[in-house]
Amino acid sequence: MPRVKTAKEEPEQQSANPYLPVSTKITSFKRESSDCFMIRIDFKTKHDPGQFVQLTLPGIGEAPISIASYSQEFMDLNIREVGNVTKALSKMKKGDTLFVRGPYGKGYPMDKLFGKELIVIGGGSGVAPLKGILSYVDKHKNNFGEVSLYFGFRTPEDILFKDEMRQWRNKYNLNLSVDKNPNKARISCDVCFITNLIEKAKLNPENKIVFICGPPMMMNITISILKNKGFKEEQIYVSTERLMQCALGICGHCMIHGKYTCLDGPVFRYDEIGQYTND
Amino acid sequence: MLKINKASFNDFLLDLMRYNELIAPVKTDESRFELVKDIKQIEISLHTYFPVKKLFFRKHQTMFSFDKNKLAEPETSAEKKQRVIVGLKRCDLNSIRRQDIMFMKDTKDPYYKEERDRTILVGYNCKEPFDEYCFCSSMDLGDYYDLMLYDKDDAYLVEIGSEKGRNFVDRYRKYFWDTELFLRPEDRRIETKLQLDKRDIKEYYNHPDWKKMVDICFSCAACVTLCPSCYCFDIHDEVDATLNKGERKRNWAACQLPCFTKVAGGHVFRSTREDRFKHRIYHQLQYFKDRHGMTLCTGCGRCIRGCPTRINFVKGINEMKLEK
Ligand SMILES: Cc1cc2nc3c(=O)[nH]c(=O)nc-3n(C[C@H](O)[C@H](O)[C@H](O)COP(=O)(O)OP(=O)(O)OC[C@H]3O[C@@H](n4cnc5c(N)ncnc54)[C@H](O)[C@@H]3O)c2cc1C
Ligand code: SF4
Ligand code: FES
Repeated sequence: MPRVKTAKEEPEQQSANPYLPVSTKITSFKRESSDCFMIRIDFKTKHDPGQFVQLTLPGIGEAPISIASYSQEFMDLNIREVGNVTKALSKMKKGDTLFVRGPYGKGYPMDKLFGKELIVIGGGSGVAPLKGILSYVDKHKNNFGEVSLYFGFRTPEDILFKDEMRQWRNKYNLNLSVDKNPNKARISCDVCFITNLIEKAKLNPENKIVFICGPPMMMNITISILKNKGFKEEQIYVSTERLMQCALGICGHCMIHGKYTCLDGPVFRYDEIGQYTND
Repeated sequence: MLKINKASFNDFLLDLMRYNELIAPVKTDESRFELVKDIKQIEISLHTYFPVKKLFFRKHQTMFSFDKNKLAEPETSAEKKQRVIVGLKRCDLNSIRRQDIMFMKDTKDPYYKEERDRTILVGYNCKEPFDEYCFCSSMDLGDYYDLMLYDKDDAYLVEIGSEKGRNFVDRYRKYFWDTELFLRPEDRRIETKLQLDKRDIKEYYNHPDWKKMVDICFSCAACVTLCPSCYCFDIHDEVDATLNKGERKRNWAACQLPCFTKVAGGHVFRSTREDRFKHRIYHQLQYFKDRHGMTLCTGCGRCIRGCPTRINFVKGINEMKLEK
């Protein structure tokens, strides 16, 4: 499959003004946890897993959100309420209008990884962009070896995509953990940090590719564990997050040591940014 | 070669002002490029304290307006006059080249392009460095202008740098004369006293001497505001009292302020002054060069001249490199 086009090459989707979003409708709204929800929007475009879009609510602002699906018919976005735009989005419902531009950035280079075994590691809402990888793998079943998932959440109530988790458990080697279980919920997963599960696991680096998305601390620890197990930086892809404004490689906010997260990322092969992850 | 006689230069400018907006270096409280109302204000050789970038990359720009769920782009002003900027120094012209790359090469920024398209750039080649903070002659600056004026006795020798410049000369042909005079290499080049050692700074990232400069930095962001090349911006929405109508705006931003990299949860990526100071210098001297083959910095000296503690990053870097 050829690499998908960026928005810039698809004038039929976007106005000549690259900052101007187009209107779209919410076709479904689902609450996932106390502070996360999933919306499906009627925005049809080609994209790679790991790319993102800019969502606008006029008068409130714009926020970059990762694409959590892999389809040309619709787009799923998993959103965590942290501020103005994300809280306002949480009050929307099916049929409401919002504005979108994108897709932007470089996603996971899935078509270059055919034949590899995949280890997919996510923490909290970092699981959302990884969900796009799994949809991709579903559509290209024969192109990948074994797929292992390591997903960690704070508490059982924070576990996202509970419906999908059941299917993933059947299809893949799913390892799930919660940091703590304060309400003594009945759960079928480990109570520990996800990094503990990775530490314990017998992971052989051969022919493996690792994808990581989560809080910076969790990503740093995971990477050092993997390195100890013999993984090379070139085998690890990380999703980075920075303050973003333009998503076009101009405004400068998202720069990491000379690389634009919105243009050269948000997915980087670890050796591309390595020591500068905190710059 | 073409020339304009100094004796008729004012007539030329007056003629220009009839159909064009004329912009030139003007000395007020501080010096800046301003719309000329009276040609007596013009000081063509002046190196302005403030940069020219605000004329293309506006400090405040309405990106679009909205009314509930209707978005509208700002009206393009087809009837806006052509604009001529006279007296741009080589460093100014080269910073416009940098900004053209950012706003017109890969992404076409409609707001910038509109202003850029209606503007003719007429340079003035400095006869000598403006002050001790200029270091342009160490910066490999190129030719980037529609017209360039070289001050030579009682005339300005004129070099044409573009199609736009040629058409412009044709329109005002009566002021331009053919001449036997010609430019010697030394007429083009001046030598600044301050010279940046341009060898790669990659390996100096963890050098202890950065502290010497950083320790006296207030993070006031004067340097990036005065930089003619710096192009970073913020985007935000402004609404009226009904909360339905409003505008999306963009403003100049400053990487020297902590909020520049602040994300959810309050985490600031470049949280120390040293991180931010080095980010500025590395963006100027390394990152931009890696991407576009030229430094972002054009050696105009404004960031040193305007710094309240006169941090001279050129000297700082030169000293670091001497030590090695
Ligand atoms: C490439 C990328 C992909 C992302 N994907 C998702 C996703 O799939 N789901 C999701 O819920 N969130 C995602 N985020 C984070 C999301 O963009 C921010 O949480 C959101 O912009 C906050 O906007 P707000 O208006 O709700 O908050 P604001 O009211 O603007 O601010 C609240 C806090 O969030 C910070 N903030 C503002 N903008 C950003 C930003 N762009 N990134 C991080 N923090 C910011 C502010 O500094 C402040 O501390 C992603 C961010 C990036 C860069
Ligand atoms: S102008 Fe000087 S003091 Fe202010 S941020 Fe720049 S270097 Fe620091
Ligand atoms: S978000 Fe503006 S440069 Fe990346």
